[in-house]
Order: sequence, then structure tokens, then C-alpha cells
Amino acid sequence: MFKELDPILHSQLRLAVMSLLISVKEAEFTFIKEKTNATAGNLSVQVQKLKEAGYIEVVKQFKDNYPLTTCQITKKGIEAFENYVKALQGYLNTDN
Amino acid sequence: MEKGSEMSGQQSLLIIQQMIETAKQEQKDDGKAWIIWGWMLFFASLTTILNQHFRWGGTFLFWNIFGIVSLLLAFISIGKRLFVKRQHKVKTYTRDLFNKLNIGFFISLMFIIAGINLGISPMIGFPLLMNLYAFWVLIYGAVLNFKPSYVGAIITWILAFGCLFVHRFELLMVFHGTAVLFGYIIPGHIANREFRKLQSRPPNQV
Repeated sequence: MFKELDPILHSQLRLAVMSLLISVKEAEFTFIKEKTNATAGNLSVQVQKLKEAGYIEVVKQFKDNYPLTTCQITKKGIEAFENYVKALQGYLNTDN
Repeated sequence: MEKGSEMSGQQSLLIIQQMIETAKQEQKDDGKAWIIWGWMLFFASLTTILNQHFRWGGTFLFWNIFGIVSLLLAFISIGKRLFVKRQHKVKTYTRDLFNKLNIGFFISLMFIIAGINLGISPMIGFPLLMNLYAFWVLIYGAVLNFKPSYVGAIITWILAFGCLFVHRFELLMVFHGTAVLFGYIIPGHIANREFRKLQSRPPNQV
């Protein structure tokens, strides 16, 4: 039914991450984890997939001796998200 | 949350809505800065009026005290930013914009204050300050789509304009105090109440 929907985005957690990042400039990994209620392991895997697709940029650094990972949506990610929403609207309109 | 289970269109839409709503909450301002600066400016105006009656000191005694307290607060704020671990786990476009605009507001403020100290009459200087407050309050209201700030900006501008026709310093202070009450204090408290209400909501379950 949703064949044309971007498979990278058509996953609950990845879509949640992208929806969060589309509205902010950048977010820490802990923030995304807190807001999506995901486990660190699962979130890491999904973030990696989004990164590999070029949808987000992940910066890993150290702050006060603690690792700090921040994520930011890329232009490609914004385009993919917009296309996904458009496609979704199309499906929903067809359903109605 | 599941790793990649099948979703319906409605579920996808719900996730997008929930997450965007969550991100929107991060754009909300707690209004604390408006409350602190508003009450400080209000008390400086009020005590200056009382000082005109009781003559505890020079006309600008309480404005000088306000200046010292402001500098102390500014140093504390800078120190916190430099040495205390930051609290924000997310950088929003709104916060970024306000940080940059704050610098412009501060420079403009200092410019007028310097002007007053270098000879511009306070009867002109204070309306100019109020004009600047109104502009900043309008920007805040426009960016956050916060109606109390729109109303506050309009009232502040009306009072600033009215000040140009006032010839008594006491009355100028009444106008100034009223302007910060409507421009800073009331919107600040409303923003703070809304922020606390939002914070007390349970987190989204995706």
C-alpha cells in the first residue's frame, strides 16, 4: 500500500527522529532519546541509518569529559521529509 | 518504540504531529527574563517617583542602583554561560535568533543610555527607550506568535508617544512604569504560566 513511501523514513523511530529534527536547528542524542522514548541502542542504529542515507549529520565530540552527540537534519533530509509528507498526503486523500 | 514495524498513513501522520508538537514546546519561552527585567524597571520607576517626593537622594539614585544591579546580573549570566554546564539539549532557530537579536537590543539600549548621560534630556531619552522596548516586545510577540506581547508592544508605543508631550519627570516615570507593566511584566507572567502548564504535560508516547 505504501510502496512509494521512502523506506528510510517509513519506520516509526526514524520518522520520529526526522520530525523532531525538522523543527529544530540541532538536538543532542539524549534529547531525541528522551522525546522518542527509545532505547539508546535502538536509537543509535536508526540514527546511523539516517546518517548513511545522508538525511542527518551526526557530530560526536567531548564536553566536560563526557561524549556529546548532536544531530542535525541535512538539505537532503529536508527534501526527503517533504516528499514523504507529500506522498503521505496523497495516500490519505486517496483513502478518503 | 519498535524498530521498523509497518505503519499506516494515519500512524505516520500522528508521529509527525506529535514530534513537531514536542519540538514546538522547546520554542516556548519561560518568560523569566521579561519578569525579572520588568519588575526591576518597574521598581526603578516607582522608587524614582517616591524619591521625587521624599528626596532620599539625587533624581537618578534608583536608576544608578538599577544600573549596578543590571551589571551584576549581566556578569552572573555571562559567568553561567561560560562556566556552568549548559541546560539546553536542543538548539532551536527561535533561541538562536533571540540570542542574536538580544545583542542588537543591548547595543541600542546602551546607545540611548550613553546619550542620556552625554546630555540628551531624559524627557526625550526615556521615550526613546520605551520605543525600543516596544520594538523588542513586538519582535518577541511576532516570532512566538504571542498575543499578549503584541498588545504590550502597542500599549508601550502609545505610552512612549504620549511621553513626548509630558513635561514633568514624575509623570514620565508613571508612563515608563506603566509601559513595562504592560510590555514586560504581564506578558512575562502569562508566558511563564503557559510554559509551566506545558512542562507539566506528560511526554508524548510514539
